[in-house]
Amino acid sequence: MSHDKFHRIILPLKDKLFRLAWSIVRDSTEAEDIVQDVFLKLWSKNDEWDNIGNMEAYCFRATKNLALDRMMSLSARKTENIAPELESGIFTDHVTPFFKLVETETNTSIYRCIDQLSENQKTVFQLREIEGMSYKEIAEALDISEDLVKVSLFRARNKLKELLSDKQQ
Amino acid sequence: MSNERIDALLKKYWNCETSVSEERELQEFFNFGDVPVDLQRYVPLFTYKQNHQVMKLNNDFEKMLEASIRKAERQKQYVTIKIFEPFIRIAASVILIAGIGLSVYYFARQNNRVFAETYNDPGAAIQQATSALDKLSRALQTTEEASLKSLEQLDNLNLDWSEIDSLSAEIPPHDPDFKKSTKSENL
Repeated sequence: MSHDKFHRIILPLKDKLFRLAWSIVRDSTEAEDIVQDVFLKLWSKNDEWDNIGNMEAYCFRATKNLALDRMMSLSARKTENIAPELESGIFTDHVTPFFKLVETETNTSIYRCIDQLSENQKTVFQLREIEGMSYKEIAEALDISEDLVKVSLFRARNKLKELLSDKQQ
Repeated sequence: MSNERIDALLKKYWNCETSVSEERELQEFFNFGDVPVDLQRYVPLFTYKQNHQVMKLNNDFEKMLEASIRKAERQKQYVTIKIFEPFIRIAASVILIAGIGLSVYYFARQNNRVFAETYNDPGAAIQQATSALDKLSRALQTTEEASLKSLEQLDNLNLDWSEIDSLSAEIPPHDPDFKKSTKSENL
């Protein structure tokens, strides 16, 4: 790897992109694979880097789109698979205890609440709550208006508030 | 942090009016503070945030990525070769045909030199040929004279040829059964 821009701007985004991919596919191996694919695609298109205005936003969009595609094919594969419990044991070699803990918690209440958000709300929520990005940055990353970011976040937070209050009762 | 402050921040939070730093303040409180019972229901939300902010890729991710990039670049080179494969084939055929053609041409030129005319003037060629044949004729004549001289010297020796002939007659002709027959007679 020799491109300076790749090391300076793109590679430091790896963990953020991984978390975004994970929030969509909820599988660490798959999320890692998505980030790698995004980086590989970017590397192969190095002659186009100068035409990309906001590289960070471009990476977020690419990761989100690829993760959504992957999730579609994953859900299709899961419905086709006869013995999913056998498949789940194949790619878990490097899954750390932390991921195991997190992934076993995906059935807990908060995950079930988040699952009820729309895709757009989930992504906005992820970028704001987990990555601490400003509304402007989120708008650029998702190629939507700042107003739409605010509306999506407002709906997401209030939906979660409502769902968490319901569970309490 | 006072309850009034928390309530105010939470109200701002639900209305999306908090700054990033205020949201961090709320997160700190819900994860590590003394959360009142009526706010306990929001704890999972802030725990989720806390857990997911520290999620990271494996340490060997960059190594794996580097290996994948190298692999992809090798494949790219292979694809380039594949694209140019028909041209390479054509070029190889042209070089082969040109090579064979040139070889045949130079070989033919070398052969022509062996049979090439060395004389432009037919008169000179006849003269050279005549002189060569003359040399040959003189050589043959010299040899003939030498032979005749040798025969003459033999005649001058006054040998008795009949005696020499009788010597050859005394030697019995080769008979393989001769020895066997004499041995059986002795027995």
